Amino acid sequence: MNLLSVGISHHTASVDIRERMWFSADEIREAIRRLKGSFFSECVLVSTCNRTELYGLTRDQGADDVAVRRFLIDFKKAADMVREEHFVGSASGEAIAHLFQVAAGIDSLVIGDIQILSQVKEAFTLSREADALGPVMNRLMQSALHVGKRTRTETSICEGAVSVSYAAVELASRIFEDLSKKTALLIGAGETGELTLKHLVSKGIGQVRIANRTREKAEALVSEFGGTVVDYGLIVDALRAADIVITSVNAPAYIVQPEDVQKVMKQRSNNPLFIIDIGVPRNVNPVSKKIENVFLYDIDALSNVVDRNLGKRKAEIPKVHAIISQELEGFMQWYQSLQAGPTIQEFREALEAIRREEVEKNVNRFRPEDRELLELVTKRIINKILHQPTATLKQGAQNGSGDAEGLMRSTLLRELFGLPTHGKGKHEE
Amino acid sequence: MGYMKPFSDIFCVVMPFLYAALALIYGLTFFRGNQSLERLRFPLLLTTVILHLFYLTARGIMLDHPPITSVFEIMTLLAASIAIAYMYIEWRTHTGNTGAFILLLAFAFQTVSSLFIRDVITIPEYLHSLVLGLHVSAALLGYTGISLSAVYGFLYLMLYHEIKSTRFGLIYSRLPSLEMLETMCNRSEVFGFAMLSVAIGVGLLWLPQAFDEFSYWDPKLVGTLVIWLLYAIALGAKRGLGWQGRKTIVISLIAFGCMFLSMTVINLYMSGFHSFH
Repeated sequence: MNLLSVGISHHTASVDIRERMWFSADEIREAIRRLKGSFFSECVLVSTCNRTELYGLTRDQGADDVAVRRFLIDFKKAADMVREEHFVGSASGEAIAHLFQVAAGIDSLVIGDIQILSQVKEAFTLSREADALGPVMNRLMQSALHVGKRTRTETSICEGAVSVSYAAVELASRIFEDLSKKTALLIGAGETGELTLKHLVSKGIGQVRIANRTREKAEALVSEFGGTVVDYGLIVDALRAADIVITSVNAPAYIVQPEDVQKVMKQRSNNPLFIIDIGVPRNVNPVSKKIENVFLYDIDALSNVVDRNLGKRKAEIPKVHAIISQELEGFMQWYQSLQAGPTIQEFREALEAIRREEVEKNVNRFRPEDRELLELVTKRIINKILHQPTATLKQGAQNGSGDAEGLMRSTLLRELFGLPTHGKGKHEE
Repeated sequence: MGYMKPFSDIFCVVMPFLYAALALIYGLTFFRGNQSLERLRFPLLLTTVILHLFYLTARGIMLDHPPITSVFEIMTLLAASIAIAYMYIEWRTHTGNTGAFILLLAFAFQTVSSLFIRDVITIPEYLHSLVLGLHVSAALLGYTGISLSAVYGFLYLMLYHEIKSTRFGLIYSRLPSLEMLETMCNRSEVFGFAMLSVAIGVGLLWLPQAFDEFSYWDPKLVGTLVIWLLYAIALGAKRGLGWQGRKTIVISLIAFGCMFLSMTVINLYMSGFHSFH
């Protein structure tokens, strides 16, 4: 197989290099148009913030992957920063396995990243629109998407939050049924705190209240997330109306004490109170955790959750590899069946089956002494019909025009005559 | 009607196995996340419920009276009632993840029933009564309500513990939210309590007329009133004292434990008016 994969990723290049090599949709269209003209008969370019990878079926056996690297660097005019050594290349089965790993999310920076599958799908669509897909890449990309989908449904590699802010939001949704009826209170500002609030807003939190020592800062956040500003001096009172509290204040001592929480819990009829204390040092006295219906987590507890989730995801990797090998085997079987030899053989068998059926059906219309002749004549007709297609397919294979054209012919022949396509299951898009 | 006896006898043996299979399938989908089994479970639940209703009908025809005359007949009715109530909840909420626990309870009731149930054809005259029908129906709905409430309460405590201790396992990832479990627990408890009150009220009015040797100190009656009182305290504390979550649920679970004991121990080993045979 003349399949080649060339690319840079978070394994091989730092973020500034990956940024330089990021392709927009328009750039991808243009690049694959040019690549198709020069190196490949079919190709797909996947570009995300963590990787830019090209997969394609080369026109010649043993195509020069260094030339492809150079093309990509030149295309992005990045020779001042990016070098060929930043890329890695692979071919045939190895390249397919790599694509499958990417689609499954086990090659991602964060294992089980759910975005990658839609990015692979987008690359697939772009190539199709640019007319850069043939039977092989088409099937390959469908198999890759299938790997991704199976990984989602058959393993739990995408489950569990893997960032502190997401872990907090996930916890909130395990405590409260309907976030749109709940109020979040952000005390102080800080990256993680704001990120948590942002996730809560995207999950449809009902009301947002923000308190900060510098009121202007709180007002700025309110203009970003909506909600109301709470006076910093009245935060303990504000706890009464809040269901989810995020504190990230830079203060030497606790700003909320267990007595405050106890008092507030009475006022709020003991309704659950979820406090995320992201401050370092901590803002809420940890003794408050013991109070009934108070769920208090500090940054360490949330980090532990994240670590455990990452561990669980890693433990799922063998299952994903099993899916990948199944799909790889299926793809290879399909690919082999497209080679000239098997196609000719199956084409012959299909025609022979039709001949035999018709002869058996009508054999009684012939006199016994003519029956041998009937066999002979019908076989000859079949052979004559087979002669030209067989010759063309074989010739293609010998010429080494190889993959692209030959496969196209095999595929067409199979489609026209309804010959089975091998490999496990047909993949829908 | 003797021709129903083979059916009744076969189902008496088969029903516990059906509920065991159901609980197992719901359990497997809960603990292993088996997707192909997930599609099977609701149709199987529906089939089991239909077969169960057939069993109850066959039994009723065979003995020529509705299966409400002994505690073991009540238990099989209760198993069916719990399964139906759960089926409704799953249909309404589209989540089957509490099924394993609830159907385990249906399995327990059905198994005890199948083990000890006897075919009594002649029943005392006082059991042929419309008032009794009302009493039993209300009690059945009441028991169903508080059984469901007990399961949801138990799940609430497990989830509460996991969230508080940040040891997040399957309970954490598969169960509905804490708030949802508490709501389900509360609603079924209020419903169950109301129905039990009706059952007790009807019983108290009817008993002195039906039994000559009736005494208000009968162990069954005292046991039932204690249970009723415990539920009243749990519900009252929620309304009056604003208690939330764990405390009231613990009281309800204790009450449920007492109810189970009352149904089995008191009915079986202590002579009183409520054991009829």
